[in-house]
Amino acid sequence: MDPLVFILDALVFVGVFMLLALSLNLEFGYTGLGNFGKVAFFMVGAYIYAIAIQFGLPFYLSLVLCALVASILGALVSLPALRLREDYLAITTIAFGEIVRIIFKAEQSIAGGVWGISIPSIFRDLNLSIRMSVVANLLLVYFVVIVVFIVLQLLTNSPYGRVLRAIREDDEAVSVLGKNVIYYKVQVFMIGSAVAGLSGGLYAQYLRFIEPNMFLPLVTFFVWIMLILGGSGNNKGALVGALLVEFISRGSRILKDYVALPVDAHNVQYIMFGVLIILIIMYRPDGLVREKPLKADWIERKITHGNS
Amino acid sequence: MAILEVNNVVKNFGGLKVLKGATLSVNKGTIVGFVGPNGSGKTTLLKIIFSLLDSDGGSIAFNGNDITGLSSHKIYRQGLSFAFQLPRLFLRMPVLDNLIIAARQQHGEGLLRSLFARRAWSNQEEMLADKVFQTLNFLELTHLAKNNTGELSGGQRKLVEIGRALMADPEMMLLDEPAAGVNPVLGKKIYQKLRILCEQGMTFLVVEHKLDMVLDFADWVYMIDHGKIMLAGPPRDVIESPDFYTTYVGEKNNASS
Repeated sequence: MDPLVFILDALVFVGVFMLLALSLNLEFGYTGLGNFGKVAFFMVGAYIYAIAIQFGLPFYLSLVLCALVASILGALVSLPALRLREDYLAITTIAFGEIVRIIFKAEQSIAGGVWGISIPSIFRDLNLSIRMSVVANLLLVYFVVIVVFIVLQLLTNSPYGRVLRAIREDDEAVSVLGKNVIYYKVQVFMIGSAVAGLSGGLYAQYLRFIEPNMFLPLVTFFVWIMLILGGSGNNKGALVGALLVEFISRGSRILKDYVALPVDAHNVQYIMFGVLIILIIMYRPDGLVREKPLKADWIERKITHGNS
Repeated sequence: MAILEVNNVVKNFGGLKVLKGATLSVNKGTIVGFVGPNGSGKTTLLKIIFSLLDSDGGSIAFNGNDITGLSSHKIYRQGLSFAFQLPRLFLRMPVLDNLIIAARQQHGEGLLRSLFARRAWSNQEEMLADKVFQTLNFLELTHLAKNNTGELSGGQRKLVEIGRALMADPEMMLLDEPAAGVNPVLGKKIYQKLRILCEQGMTFLVVEHKLDMVLDFADWVYMIDHGKIMLAGPPRDVIESPDFYTTYVGEKNNASS
């Protein structure tokens, strides 16, 4: 295989996972909502994209539809789930993820059941070489990543973001300060799910084939590893985490061609993740990129003014 | 004129009857002290007023509106604010953010406006900042403005909690032992500040164990025991009443000691 294609292909996956990590970071890193059903919204996005494309919708509308359906689903799930305590929220969302997967697997009429569903590439008519078609996908994915990153960066560095961080610290105290906590949590769940849905759509578009077993709970855990390693409560951390995890995951697969391993090469990545998580939690519990306080020019101005 | 009316509120924790029909009213522009032995239901009543606990009976009216069972954030919007006895701060956030978040009606707290009305809310932040620094100066915490509240001592956290309630500019404040864990000079200063705010028309319902503070600053006192209001009146009358000694202070003590 063309080594350049291998690297570009890895980067497309990194982009898709960056979106997932950013969305989990908004939910958990900033707002403290432990969503363990991330894969469900990712999967719904992928399937909605596949179905919409088959119905002949243009790809950009299909992507919007992915985000829309995923966010509505997010709202529906969050309304009952958010009344639960953190640990029960985790259990409920993980169960939701599995339920969605099993429905898509069992109901052949929706999208092919276990046989999966193929999606024609949007770059099909351009007659691109393999390399160029990967590049085209790369540009599409990173365009979305950049837009989402900027929006989330603005959102989390505003008074809105301040309320989210406060909810993470103590949601009862926030409601005593006159904020409608449930309202905020549902909004965050909707935005997070929309981003995960978008990510699923891009994933389906790139792979051109999806089937239910691509959406095991493992995907959710990978996103969590990204957040723990990269640093939660910082959007840049989510990006770093996605890059790092995909690098290790891919790297360990190449490794077996160069060194004789005493264990199955596929398992090397899990060993490395385990060791890394332990090291990070022991020596840098906030992750590689730490949370930064809200950026505000007035703080600097007032403090320097006050001292002078 | 009564701004807050609590009527016959009942609360049971399992088989334990904590409030057995507590009734009190607070007049506008006064500081009302709320005293009673530990476990007599003071904090419980405060939390019920603010809907942090559900009551099992009775009604509460604020400014003539029934607020029984309304969610906390709606009660806050009606002009009531609450300061916890044990500070409930946002520990991984700077002192500044802990204070500014308490201000009412911030433009940047809506999802769309935080993105598309940046100029509007950053101007507002600039103005709120003045108030934040006034509050910090008053509480002598200016040098800690940028530190996370998690790095502060217990007493300093208590001050931030009071500051947060002050930032809200409420019509009425419910304070649960505002001077507990704070050095006596500053404790007194807090009460003096409350007095000034009171003269500007703010109303306070304050749980307080220090009787000298109650004597010096309260206009009216309620004493609660076993879930019922036992005594009510001007501070000196309540504190000098013989029932007060037997239930609260212990027979031989002197009020002003």
